[in-house]
Amino acid sequence: MLKLVTRETDDRQDFESDAPVTQDQLLARVAQGDQAAFAALYDQIAPRVLGLVRRLLRDHAQSEEVTQEIFLEIWQTATRYDSTKGGASTWIMTMAHRRAVDRVRASQSSRDRDTKIGIRDYDAAYDNVAETVQTRVEHERVEKAMLRLTELQRQAVSLAYYGGYSHSEVATLLSVPIGTVKTRLRDGMIRLRDELGVAS
Amino acid sequence: MTDKRNDPTSLTGAYALNALSAEERAAVEAGLTESESLRHEVTELADTAVLLGRAVAPVTPPPALKANIMDMIASTPQLPPLQDDTTGETDATASVTPIAPPRPASPSAAAPTPAERKAQARWFTKPAIALASVAAVLGLIIGGGVLVNTMGESQQNNQAADQLAAINAASDSQRAVSEIEGGGTATLVWSGELASAAMIVDGLPALPDDKVYELWFIGEETGARPAGTFTVSDDGRTLRVLDGEMHAGDAVGVTVEPRGGSETPTTEPIVAITSA
Repeated sequence: MLKLVTRETDDRQDFESDAPVTQDQLLARVAQGDQAAFAALYDQIAPRVLGLVRRLLRDHAQSEEVTQEIFLEIWQTATRYDSTKGGASTWIMTMAHRRAVDRVRASQSSRDRDTKIGIRDYDAAYDNVAETVQTRVEHERVEKAMLRLTELQRQAVSLAYYGGYSHSEVATLLSVPIGTVKTRLRDGMIRLRDELGVAS
Repeated sequence: MTDKRNDPTSLTGAYALNALSAEERAAVEAGLTESESLRHEVTELADTAVLLGRAVAPVTPPPALKANIMDMIASTPQLPPLQDDTTGETDATASVTPIAPPRPASPSAAAPTPAERKAQARWFTKPAIALASVAAVLGLIIGGGVLVNTMGESQQNNQAADQLAAINAASDSQRAVSEIEGGGTATLVWSGELASAAMIVDGLPALPDDKVYELWFIGEETGARPAGTFTVSDDGRTLRVLDGEMHAGDAVGVTVEPRGGSETPTTEPIVAITSA
């Protein structure tokens, strides 16, 4: 357990290294009702949130809506954020992914999603991207780690995380039994964890 | 003891990727209370998933989005902080959401070490943020856990919550918050596509028994159309999906009316929200 806590602290420093005032500090001020801190936090992390949400939803207008909801939730629940639970960036990105997935599942348009492009290359190019050296490095690390997975693992993880598909949808898309998908998702994530050095 | 199909240890990857059904998610979260190794693995895989998220190219949001959000937060109350650290873990799940899996008593939980408590806190308080979607929509909009709590208890209210979730999920869903004369806030959520609207009030005074609050769709051509009545609980909060169809450009108003409601408003609105 002690090891685990140490590792989280390290991760947090990595995550926030591109920020002059750390996101953790900003979030602590947001919890006190500081709107200026909220604005600063937004400036730092909104492009990442919108980038991730749009990756899942693809529709830009909907992605902006969901991003708006996520930031409203950050505002409302910052009072309950506890830094011992992981860094601010981890908290926000986890919330962002979950909300994007919620919208994918709830949205009627998700039912019409073209399954042919469901298996997308996760290295898709987009307009108005705000890539920095930092994000490029993070991207390349993940890309490299992804190559260490088996094809089935990689497809399953990509469909689930970047496509917002449930494991049963992934099973249908890949024409494999659902039990196999569960196993591949777990094995794939464990492999990624090890490749990315998340393991303690 | 654990249902094999929902064996949490086989679901950690899918859990971290948000690829589980609500039922399976609950199974994993229940499992977290019992197994430190499971907690450990889930924490690591969740952190790994965050790295996948950070590998996506950022997209610069338009300035209008920030302006909108700043407007919204200026009129949106924050949730009250959770109480007291020592009991915080159980309080967090119990007081915020009935949807969270109950925390089974386990011998080791009786005297957790500080490090264990930290690790547990990460997961046990998580449902406070990661409510199942309907409750999340509510919690998000009303800015309070209390209503979420009461909502879960009544099927009628669940239905209202479902409808609210549907409105909220519509591609053209919009919301507006307004101060109520005499105190409190009113939040209107609507979708033109669904021709449907829901009102969430917070901090509204309770009325004497012979009076109710009444909702109105107010159109330029149609005038005020009754859209249902409501009362508020002790904490002044309620959610009411408006009866009838919302027309494009309708405003929504609330008046105080005699019990049973009126066909046309008999008092001045305490709040009116325009949707145009």
